Amino acid sequence: MKKQIIPSGILLLIAALIAIGSQTFLSPCIHEDGSFGACHWAGQTLLGLGCVLGTLAVLSLCLKKAAGGFFLSALPVCIMGILTPGTLIDLCHMSTMRCRMLMQPAMVILFSAALVCALTGAVLSARK
Amino acid sequence: MKNFSLAFNNLIRRPGRTLALALLSAFLSLAVFGGSVMVLSLRSGLHSLEARLGADIIVVPSQAQSKVSFQNMFLQGTTGAFYMNASALDQALEVEGVEKAAPQTFLASLKADCCSIKIQVIGIDPELDFTVQPWIARSLSRGLGDMDVAVGCKVEAEVGEIIRIYDQRCKVVARLEATGTGLDTAVYCNMETMNALLAAAEAKGVSHKIESGDEVISAIYVKVKDGCDIDKVNSRLNGHIRKVTAVRTRSMITGVSDSLSGISRTITLLIAAVWGLALIILLLISVLIIRERVREFAVLRLVGASRGMLGRMVLTESSLCGLLGGLIGVGAAALLLFPFAQLIESALQLPYLMPSAAVILLLALGTVLLAVAVSALSSMIAAYRLSRVDPGTTLREGN
Amino acid sequence: MIKAEHISMRYFRKTGTANYFYAVQPTDLSIQPGELAVLMGRSGSGKTTLLNMLSGLLKPTEGTVRMDDLDLYSLDDRVLSRLRGTKIAVVPQGRSAIDTLTVLENVLLPARLCACPLHVEAAVKHLEHLGIAHLKDARPPELSGGELRRMSIARALSQGPDILFADEPTSDLDDENTFLVLSMLRAFAHEEKKAVFVVTHENDARQYADRLYGMDGGILTEK
Repeated sequence: MKKQIIPSGILLLIAALIAIGSQTFLSPCIHEDGSFGACHWAGQTLLGLGCVLGTLAVLSLCLKKAAGGFFLSALPVCIMGILTPGTLIDLCHMSTMRCRMLMQPAMVILFSAALVCALTGAVLSARK
Repeated sequence: MKNFSLAFNNLIRRPGRTLALALLSAFLSLAVFGGSVMVLSLRSGLHSLEARLGADIIVVPSQAQSKVSFQNMFLQGTTGAFYMNASALDQALEVEGVEKAAPQTFLASLKADCCSIKIQVIGIDPELDFTVQPWIARSLSRGLGDMDVAVGCKVEAEVGEIIRIYDQRCKVVARLEATGTGLDTAVYCNMETMNALLAAAEAKGVSHKIESGDEVISAIYVKVKDGCDIDKVNSRLNGHIRKVTAVRTRSMITGVSDSLSGISRTITLLIAAVWGLALIILLLISVLIIRERVREFAVLRLVGASRGMLGRMVLTESSLCGLLGGLIGVGAAALLLFPFAQLIESALQLPYLMPSAAVILLLALGTVLLAVAVSALSSMIAAYRLSRVDPGTTLREGN
Repeated sequence: MIKAEHISMRYFRKTGTANYFYAVQPTDLSIQPGELAVLMGRSGSGKTTLLNMLSGLLKPTEGTVRMDDLDLYSLDDRVLSRLRGTKIAVVPQGRSAIDTLTVLENVLLPARLCACPLHVEAAVKHLEHLGIAHLKDARPPELSGGELRRMSIARALSQGPDILFADEPTSDLDDENTFLVLSMLRAFAHEEKKAVFVVTHENDARQYADRLYGMDGGILTEK
């Protein structure tokens, strides 16, 4: 039981990084004239996905008996997170833009880490 | 085998010690692998820049900013637009010592609806061009047709896609190979297309500030005849054509290679510092571990382990630690270097072209081997001392 | 079996007029199979030094130690080490467990090191006899001093040696276990026809001895 706290905690941390990052240090491109590109909406989606992931992590901490289920439901969220920037939602058309240069790789890494974390959590919960 | 399984067992059941030793090796490999990939990328970026510049002299309008703007375009991919009368090309060809001269025309797109940013459009004359054309030819077997564009590898548009520049529909016919320079963010077209785009820009109120009617160009790439002094041709060009600045490409490359060698030196120093530190700490730890493990080794001696066996066991343990650390270090470096390559390039503001996968694999392999070797080497003292433990006296001392 | 000829151990130390002193005076000794020999003496009398020399752990200053006509100290380190893991077993003073291995793994360690077949059942049986079979999967740090002592005796017995040396094998044990260990050692000597050499300062050991030696100031005497 105790072992699950570790993946849950890490998952929560990653979710917070995703949600906060998508609006601050990992945000999509900022245009001087205040207009939005496609990448802005990718950023908004990532905020949402980060919040969902965070909620699942909190639930897995609170409702320990059902933790395995929450870990499993985090998996598709992570996959969506990996696919959102660039595949599901278009980004700016230049690899030198902030959204492609910073947001996309950082988010792919964060969601991949979350995926590994959720998988570990699911396996740990299934073991008992 | 028995050595290996005992060593393995020691590592697994002392996870704290193992991880600490592995992390040290990880730092070492992170620095070595990360540093060498960066240095190599900068070096191949410089080569690629030389190849793409391919001309001896570049003639740009003498407007205040055009030289700087040209360099930035090349190195950082910022947009630039400056013009001179197309007659300058004919004048350049008249100059003694000029073998070839090819014009290029630049246009910065508006925030086109395809892209949320400005992109640089470069018009070339396929018949005269000798710098960009060979590069385009590698991705496109035929010439650039009217309203066809070839895009640099950092422009995210697929072949066959239509992009709109000043409301003109241009078809992407090729995506070019990476050069690591600012040219990767540009879009290339022929002069007819460029003239159409210039006209469309004019209609949209984007003036390119030149007396009406005349054709304009932005830069002339000059190749000097073999045996002619490039500096002399340079000053002749400056004297012969009005309102232009002729610049030796060498000076641009020298500037880049100067900052490159600066960065290389910093990275090398950094690697050396991490190396020195890690080696000292590894040595220190292995010497400290001798004290902690004397008893363990005395027992092993007592129950039949020979000196050679114990020495090999210490070396196996430290090599395994090095292997683990090397893999962690290379993995961590890869996680930083590859996804964020563009970020690094933008931060360095220098041409940056990743070496090929084979070279990177070799580097990774070399780094892991190095980590194993350093780790094993640093445990030599421990291996020697521990294998010569005298079980009789050691086991008597302090129970 | 083990035959020591004129062995002595001399250390450099200024004592009065001499520059060295004898930890063990030149001694002849032979240990026969089927016999439990006990060496008694006060601490510091040179007992352990003698045991170490006899068991191939400490090269004497002079003299030779032979086992079945092999001169132990002229052997190559590899051969001598292998001998120590097979034909010669030593129960040293103090703790002698590898903390990263379980009790059973510790007992099987000599066999593992010499790549001999592992006799797990025999090892467990020895642990059972010594009353610590329930601890076979525990780690040495979880064991008491007496339990560790019995573990190293089990290790020596499991080795199936021709000669077993034990240095204070009963030091951490209560009376009941002292009796148990000493009778096991005697049984090993008598039933398996092997040689056993025990060093102790405990008087109880006297009654188990087939042959009794005393030591004082580095001089060995047979009683």
